[in-house]
Amino acid sequence: MNKKMIAAMTAAITAAVGLSGSIVMASEAVPTEPFGDTVKYDPTVEINDGKDISVELWEWGSDDLFQQVIDGYTAIHPNVSIKLVNNPWEDYWTKLPLALSGKNGPAIFNVHNSYHENLINYMAPLDIPLEDLQADFTGVDAHVIDGNVYYIDYGMMTGSVYYNKDMWEAAGLTEDDIPKTWDEMREIAKKLTIKDGDRLVQAGLNFNGDFHQNYLLGLNYQLGENLFQEDGKTPNVNSDAMKKVMQMLVDMYEVDGVGSKDFGEKGADSFGQGQSAMVIQWGHYYNTLNTTWSDINFGVFEIPTFDGEPYAYNRYNGESTFGINKNAPEDQQAVAQDFVKYFLANDEAQVTFNLAMSTFPAKKSLAENEEILANPSLKVLAEHIDRYIWPGPMPATMETTLQTAGQNIFFNGMDIDTAFEEAQENIIRDMKNSTFESVESLYAYAE
Amino acid sequence: MRKKTSSIILNVVLLLLGVVTVYPFVWMLSSSFKQNKEIMALEQHLLPQQFITDNYINMNAHFNFLRFFANSLLITVVVTVIVLYTSTICGYVLSKYRFRGRNLLFGFVLSTMMIPWCVTIIPKYSMIQHFGWMDSYKALIIPGMFSGFGIFMMKQHITSLPDEILEAARIDGANEFYIFHRIVFPMSKNGISSIAIFQFLWTWEDFLWPYLVINTQEKQLLAVGLKMFNGQYSTDYGALFAATAISIVPVLLIYLFFQKQFIAGIAASAVKG
Repeated sequence: MNKKMIAAMTAAITAAVGLSGSIVMASEAVPTEPFGDTVKYDPTVEINDGKDISVELWEWGSDDLFQQVIDGYTAIHPNVSIKLVNNPWEDYWTKLPLALSGKNGPAIFNVHNSYHENLINYMAPLDIPLEDLQADFTGVDAHVIDGNVYYIDYGMMTGSVYYNKDMWEAAGLTEDDIPKTWDEMREIAKKLTIKDGDRLVQAGLNFNGDFHQNYLLGLNYQLGENLFQEDGKTPNVNSDAMKKVMQMLVDMYEVDGVGSKDFGEKGADSFGQGQSAMVIQWGHYYNTLNTTWSDINFGVFEIPTFDGEPYAYNRYNGESTFGINKNAPEDQQAVAQDFVKYFLANDEAQVTFNLAMSTFPAKKSLAENEEILANPSLKVLAEHIDRYIWPGPMPATMETTLQTAGQNIFFNGMDIDTAFEEAQENIIRDMKNSTFESVESLYAYAE
Repeated sequence: MRKKTSSIILNVVLLLLGVVTVYPFVWMLSSSFKQNKEIMALEQHLLPQQFITDNYINMNAHFNFLRFFANSLLITVVVTVIVLYTSTICGYVLSKYRFRGRNLLFGFVLSTMMIPWCVTIIPKYSMIQHFGWMDSYKALIIPGMFSGFGIFMMKQHITSLPDEILEAARIDGANEFYIFHRIVFPMSKNGISSIAIFQFLWTWEDFLWPYLVINTQEKQLLAVGLKMFNGQYSTDYGALFAATAISIVPVLLIYLFFQKQFIAGIAASAVKG
């Protein structure tokens, strides 16, 4: 118990790194031969002519994770000193653009694609041939801007079904009962639901608080509809697919009775509290369960589909590689370029980062990596990982407006048609000045 | 009888308000001895079901707590002392000296209190960058040396000091320096105590400015450190509550130390004009 508690006291990411048992980068022998797939890193090439140089790397969340990569890099280049600056997640996005606008900003910084528009004007393009990146990594095309790439994804995060194994067993279910379709899922959810009269005691499925992120913005792809229309700018939320998904959610609660809008504010917490048998959550939830909710005996399976042959299974979002500050001095930018290349070529760093974030590696050669597949939340994605779509760094209004639409349907008795018509109008208005353009058309199986 | 009943009702209402005010603090303190899963459990208990001290022991896992605490203490004490001095001397000049433009100057001081901080933060940041003070305590101390609120409070307070005392001192040969330090300053202790508490609290809990201008981890302040417990996807509530519980100790001590003068100072500044 004490060990579990210690794990719970560390940040989720850090704990996951520790659990992965792969913290060996810095302790390994310093490489002397070039390594990597198509993007190769040659450790024999001196950086900054061997003269001492110091740069900063800004990140949020996990010092240990980043320090390992830094230690590995500085072991090859002892003349380079990389100072790690940790930041709180929320406020990082206030401080970083301010710092990047001056001359003293960090040469290297961690990026999240949801802040793409705030950062892209401060970033230098990667000094790596585009075709090399395309050869090694999935989803590079979506990051090409005027022939340049400023950052790519090292990992892909998406939603899977997390189920409580004890509740599963108590309902007389086995591994063979894992549902493949939504119809099967609804039947299983009914079996996992426990009621005392009309009072819900255990929800078979709980999507409270995150139905917009985990269902509405993703399951549309299973029905062959994109989130944006052909022009890549107009939202497609008032679509038959979106309405069908919403109707299914309403029916699950109001017809099947497998959950309730009033049964806990957040499905993820309810699952952790042992009140709900199944939730659909994104990869980061795997770490949360292992740290905060360590008593829950859980399993993971792939998200069901409507007919077994979806256009795509779900939406994914990428965890981004580092950004390089174009306003930094040239010698610092050169170190930053070299550091990013080292990170991309280094399989061990890629595996460690993906395990820490519970993301599936974007590096193609790691799709069948043993350590990756040993993580249940990643293993379930392996078979169909090419069947997930990234729509691009969508403006936040897509999430917030759809959340409001769903709340209007569940709590205010609004009908689905009206709610989605209203949502469509609101998103169009909110995105009036946005430069966003969807990259759904770059999906490998785009029709 | 009616008076006694009113008194009882008043005390009960005050007691209830007191409980409502203090309960969240007690809950936080109690939760700092709980595991995260207990803090987030569906069934809540005020006292820990399983009492643990790991949150306190492992506080340094997120950042160097003691270092951040010491940094905060240093900056807060320095800024508070400087503000006390500048507020008192400015308040003295504005209340006891008659010169052209005095009211205009006082109006200017008041106007600084009315500009939202979010309007000034970017120009202030640019200035600090231009001066080369980034990642230096100069960026925290120098812009915080004057407080519009402090000057306003002290002007109001010092106005109440009888002019006769100051005149008598002048007749006895005291110079202005002596009068300010030996007469005005000691006689303003209630007002100074009020400003001390406010300024200490504001500087201690200020997050955004220190976060923006300080980069080196070893120089960072506690208010910034406390934010480190909030991750992208989750929050380490137990450790956050433990760190917060310790972080409020200096503020409590300052309040306990100055509370009598604080109440008197606030009352005096409120009624004198």
